[in-house]
Amino acid sequence: MTIWKTPLGRRAVLKGSTAALATLAAPSILRGAEPAPIKVGVLQPITGALAMDGEFGRTGAEFAIADVNAAGGIKSLGGAKLEMVFGDARSNPEAGTQEVERMQSEGVVAVVGGFASGICLAASQTAARYDLPYIVDVGVSDQIVQRGLKNTFRFGPGFGTCARTAFDNLARINEAAGKPAKTVVLVHEDGLFGSGLAKVMQQELPKLGFEILDTIAVPTPSRDLSNVVLRLRSLNPDLVIPSTYYGETVLLARTMQQQRVRPKGVYGVLNGAASNTRFVKEFPEAADKIMDCNHWYDPRKAAAQALIKAAAAAGKGWNYNLPLNYSCVGLLADALNRAGSTDRAKVNEALAASTWADHVMPYGPTKFVDGQNQGAAPVSLQVQEGAIRVIYPEAFSDAKPIFPARA
Amino acid sequence: MMRTYLPILAIVGLIAAIPFAVTSNTALNFVVFVLIIALGAQGWNLLGGVGGQFSFGHAAFFGTGAYVSAILQVRYGLNAWIAMAAGILLGAAVAWGIGFLSFRAGLRGSYFALVTLAFAEVLRILANAVPITGGAAGLLLKLDIGVLNLQFASRAAFLWLALGCVAAGLVLCRWIMDSRFGAQLVAVRENEDAARALGVDVLAVKLKAITVSGALTAAAGCLYLQYFLYLDANIAYGVWISIEVLLAAMVGGRGLVLGPLVGAFTLHGLGDLTKQFAGGIPGIDLAAYGTVLILVVAFAPGGVLGLLTRLWTRRAAAQPAGGRA
Repeated sequence: MTIWKTPLGRRAVLKGSTAALATLAAPSILRGAEPAPIKVGVLQPITGALAMDGEFGRTGAEFAIADVNAAGGIKSLGGAKLEMVFGDARSNPEAGTQEVERMQSEGVVAVVGGFASGICLAASQTAARYDLPYIVDVGVSDQIVQRGLKNTFRFGPGFGTCARTAFDNLARINEAAGKPAKTVVLVHEDGLFGSGLAKVMQQELPKLGFEILDTIAVPTPSRDLSNVVLRLRSLNPDLVIPSTYYGETVLLARTMQQQRVRPKGVYGVLNGAASNTRFVKEFPEAADKIMDCNHWYDPRKAAAQALIKAAAAAGKGWNYNLPLNYSCVGLLADALNRAGSTDRAKVNEALAASTWADHVMPYGPTKFVDGQNQGAAPVSLQVQEGAIRVIYPEAFSDAKPIFPARA
Repeated sequence: MMRTYLPILAIVGLIAAIPFAVTSNTALNFVVFVLIIALGAQGWNLLGGVGGQFSFGHAAFFGTGAYVSAILQVRYGLNAWIAMAAGILLGAAVAWGIGFLSFRAGLRGSYFALVTLAFAEVLRILANAVPITGGAAGLLLKLDIGVLNLQFASRAAFLWLALGCVAAGLVLCRWIMDSRFGAQLVAVRENEDAARALGVDVLAVKLKAITVSGALTAAAGCLYLQYFLYLDANIAYGVWISIEVLLAAMVGGRGLVLGPLVGAFTLHGLGDLTKQFAGGIPGIDLAAYGTVLILVVAFAPGGVLGLLTRLWTRRAAAQPAGGRA
């Protein structure tokens, strides 16, 4: 603070600023032969209902940009550095569209992110008007890749793949344990992902030998789930399947803990909390043994472990948005490198032809068909002793499932 | 007679010139969104501002317009222009239905506000559940640029379309307010019992107002759909749009023809300007939006236009006296 006590003289200020201006005005060659940075649009909802997810996504993209730059930038473009142009999608499609327009006017080479399906649908469509490459991070709605847009690529799995994988994994886990679970109650949020999943589950679960006792819809946000838990107590299902966002899942798990409702297992599908370290850290007892089928990183990859350490060192939490966005930016960097140009058509082509394997997700090399990464799939996770472990498929797992959770 | 339309002509002309002065699509996109809100707010203003019937559920009309237009296009392959006309008609019909049920029951003031809110919520939950609206997955209009599809390659073209609708709404509102029906509507707002005693058919007047109001807001819904090409229950019937149209009319000057347009530009314009200058802080524009709202409610109950008129008359009154105002 003492610096400001000595007033700067007028001459000193003039001298200083003239020097600074001269440096800035000098052609880039004189400042070192650094090529102009490549602007990357990062779109995430960081205000409104989805703010928490958006923050995780932004952190992931930030880490990726820092890592790409630290490794020497985009080599084929003379080591050009990536520069983030951030846009707050404010948890609604209009704001997403508005931000894409702004990014376009600032000259970004591509847009990464979106998170919610509604934002991704609107934002990618706006980007399509300019042939601007758009990489979807999470948005699971299958409509996203069914519109025939040439600029839209989804690195993660869509809704259909997630649902199918979740049920297959559940059936296998149940079979391996000697089929202890026969009855199920579905608790789902009433928006796109919850009701969509409930519909698929009502068709698919009976085929796998489960009997659905009830399907309970809960609104987002919910302030009290006592009635839902009382219903669970009276139905006494072997398995509870919650497809809800963070707040509602935490509330459900804690209310179940308080009312001592203990089914043989809780198996979330794309659940908002069961694979979020915050939930596990804040409510370890309520979270214990909860299973979830969700996006997750590949725990065997060194890059993934390094990313976890970096996030922990920066004091950031961890959930799937972070490694997904980290990988999406990496995917773009790889495409830029191969395209050797920031020309949009060439970047789109490079993305479509991508066979990139250096990401931190358990997907294998990327392969896009109609904008969807074919290898993308979720994994089954379980909270065990305060940590989130991969329990299925075995190829990626770092723990065995504990099922039934309570004998 | 023509003189009352001059301000409308001036302001519409000014907005129509924006695409010639500004080429940035970010700015044009912003103006289009504000125009859509302004159109919806005009609907609210006719019923709430002129007629004094405060609705908290204009989402019911906005959403019906948007959904009808989307369903006709997506499920039945109808032409976008015809679908839009159908959306407006059905929005008006829903408004008439809601009006008939609540006005006939004699609901006024906060009771009317609550019942409209309830209607909009019921529609939202229905739209989220039934298959024809695509349920929670929503409806997606295919990006297929062409005048016949009501989709334009340039943002400017859409701006003019939206402006055309807003202008039509302004002229309609002006005409209504100068007509016998407008006078009856104001009479109902000021004192319903006195109006009835003077022989005004209160129910008929209110029904007429809510029907036209519904049509205007439904048109805003149709424009929203054609612009963003995506709808789900929370967008179409969400509380956000009910509040958005209500606030625009209140901030601009409730009961005044140009109020909604001025209000929408003031609220969103200041929010957006703050974002331009302090973009680094997330949600700063929302804070600015809130501040404008508090200031208007506290210091300008007649809205921005009301405040301007007050200042103007004070100055005009001070001038002949030779004061230093």
